[in-house]
Amino acid sequence: MFPVFLKPAGGARAFRWALFLFAVLPALAAADTPALRWQPATKSQPCRVELNGLDSVLLAQLRDQPPKDWSNLLAVFVGDSRTPILGNYTVGKASLLFEPRFPFNPGLKYRALFTPASGPKVELEFTIPQPTVTAATVVEQVYPSADKLPENLLKFYLHFSASMSWGQAYSRVHLLDADGKEVERPFLELEQELWDPSGRRLTLFIHPGRIKRGLKPREELGPVLQEGKSYTLVVDSTWPDTDGNPLQKRFTKEFKVEVPDETQPDPKKWALRAPAAGERKPLTVRFPKPLDHALLQRMLWIVDKSEKRLDGQVRIGEQEKSWSFTPAQEWKPGEYRLVVDTALEDFAGNSVARPFEVDEFHAVQKEVKAKTMELPFSVR
Amino acid sequence: MLRLRFGLAALLGVAVLAGSARADLTSSLKKQSVNLQSASALAFGPESILFIGDSAAATIYAVATGDQATGDKKAAMNVEGIDKLVADMLGATPKDIAISAMKVNPATGNVYLAVRRAKGPGAAIFRVDRTGKVTELALKDIPAASVQLPNASEKQRAQSITCMAFSKDRLFVAGLSNEEFASTLRSLPFPFQQADKGSGIEIYHGSHGRFETASPIRTFTLFDVSGQASLLAAYTCTPLVRIPVESLKPGEKVKGATVAELGNGNTPLDMVVYQKDGKTYILMANTKRGVMKIQTEGIEGTEPITKRVSDKAGLKYETVTDLKNVEKLDRLNDTMAVVLMSGENGSQMLKSVALP
Repeated sequence: MFPVFLKPAGGARAFRWALFLFAVLPALAAADTPALRWQPATKSQPCRVELNGLDSVLLAQLRDQPPKDWSNLLAVFVGDSRTPILGNYTVGKASLLFEPRFPFNPGLKYRALFTPASGPKVELEFTIPQPTVTAATVVEQVYPSADKLPENLLKFYLHFSASMSWGQAYSRVHLLDADGKEVERPFLELEQELWDPSGRRLTLFIHPGRIKRGLKPREELGPVLQEGKSYTLVVDSTWPDTDGNPLQKRFTKEFKVEVPDETQPDPKKWALRAPAAGERKPLTVRFPKPLDHALLQRMLWIVDKSEKRLDGQVRIGEQEKSWSFTPAQEWKPGEYRLVVDTALEDFAGNSVARPFEVDEFHAVQKEVKAKTMELPFSVR
Repeated sequence: MLRLRFGLAALLGVAVLAGSARADLTSSLKKQSVNLQSASALAFGPESILFIGDSAAATIYAVATGDQATGDKKAAMNVEGIDKLVADMLGATPKDIAISAMKVNPATGNVYLAVRRAKGPGAAIFRVDRTGKVTELALKDIPAASVQLPNASEKQRAQSITCMAFSKDRLFVAGLSNEEFASTLRSLPFPFQQADKGSGIEIYHGSHGRFETASPIRTFTLFDVSGQASLLAAYTCTPLVRIPVESLKPGEKVKGATVAELGNGNTPLDMVVYQKDGKTYILMANTKRGVMKIQTEGIEGTEPITKRVSDKAGLKYETVTDLKNVEKLDRLNDTMAVVLMSGENGSQMLKSVALP
């Protein structure tokens, strides 16, 4: 047991502190020995550091007049660093608690240090144990799902079974040619990486400068994908998920490259199969060519005669060549419309509204100004 | 004497007016806690108001930093191991974090860094003052405002914010969707208005006058071309394009003039505009070609590139050979830039360099 002093804060405040500490010294003498420990994370709170054994009067003082810089009293560091970790300090009933700004990293060595103005320092070295490596995360699907893709393919969507770590995408995904040789920098590398909010879907754009005609990257290196050749998209098993675990296995997708697709999707060529009234069977739409998996989820919908959008389930068919909609309620007889957002794209970035690139010398492509197009159908 | 008094009175009047304009901007911000999921772009507005682009939350925050100048604004900067320093402050190792954006507050000369975690959501903002001291910008109970980009509620759709810049009363925001391939430049009024989330402006650029694409913008900078505010944009597919700001009206389709083509494999990272010896230059950090110094002489008369071009088409540029591995770049003052660069041992440093 020993008294606990705080470092002087300077000026009048320091004087007040000194006076206070002098007055409460007898009480402090009765305090337990200060001790540090780390508390494992629970469902409701992250891992934190706890300083126990402080006198209740001192705790009350800390609560009422928090020091300007808590780290002079209690600091937590990474390994031997002298830069304190940022975090929040809370004065509990019988302890002082430190919660780091971001959760402690399992496996990394930390050091907590309590520095009273007098008396011995108290130090605790700790490491949050690494969870057992359970390589359970897998690449569930890659879209486009077909094994024949156009030369001017614009993007891949990689779907994972759990959220993935950020910052390694372009070193963990590779495109190999038929000889197993890696295609040089095939993707548009963006520092932000294009993840969905859950961190489970990554969008990889093929470098547009090598798709678009007349640009130097394509003239110098040629297109990323070449018609008639075969390629393999590879995802390394060493890519860690957000728990730090590697993937269960390496993922590969082999595909053959066909002629570039320079045509716009044309909803007038789609085949609609209307369901019968009184049932909950799906409306099915078949496309002459496959369309973008992600955009199909939200760029087609159904409205009834009163413009009310119908609730229901959307399903994308095999190889993204069809779309079906099962309503939440039975179909009622009447007139409906399938609404198409004209930003809907095919595999090569040609949208209903405009092709990926407009050839101004050969204006064979058309531009659709309207934001939506509608295809009517009847339910009998 | 009378003239002097009149002058002083006029000066005071201007100061009062400027003060009231400030009060308007400040009053639009309300004390709140900003919880960043990510931070991919930064920009400064008037009165040291910092705009933070949070791609993961599809939100842009404006926060009053209350930034004050510390140290000599003309002094050189050199903070070695900045990645280790901020990682230490976040209880992590450098590989667990990334410095995702860097901007200088032109009012104080202090450098602001956006740092994000690699494992899961979370980001923090740091201030490096001119004495080299690094502190966190506390985002708890800070005067702030925010605006959410449209369609943020879509389940899988995300809008990555790649670059922002403030001009007069508007914040220009370039972004990239993780679904559709389109140019989405937004022009947001500030103070933010919930009713106006900034309609997207469709920007097209030609290539050799023949093929026209709505490719996304990677980075841009604002500057005057013969008194006309212009946006100089670098596209993901490499051309450098000039667009007059006045043509950027919501809902409009705008076609920019390609003024230079950067060539193979370049991903433009950051651009700054500066004057030297009476001439205006653009300094651009680039993934492959290092830092490029681009002459703007005659940019107003530059004919858009309309035919097959040699390697150095349009505006003339040279590579600044002294600057290698530059990852972020901003203007520090009239004569210096600040760069975030990686050293030979892989650690990052923040360093001031003379504008070439």
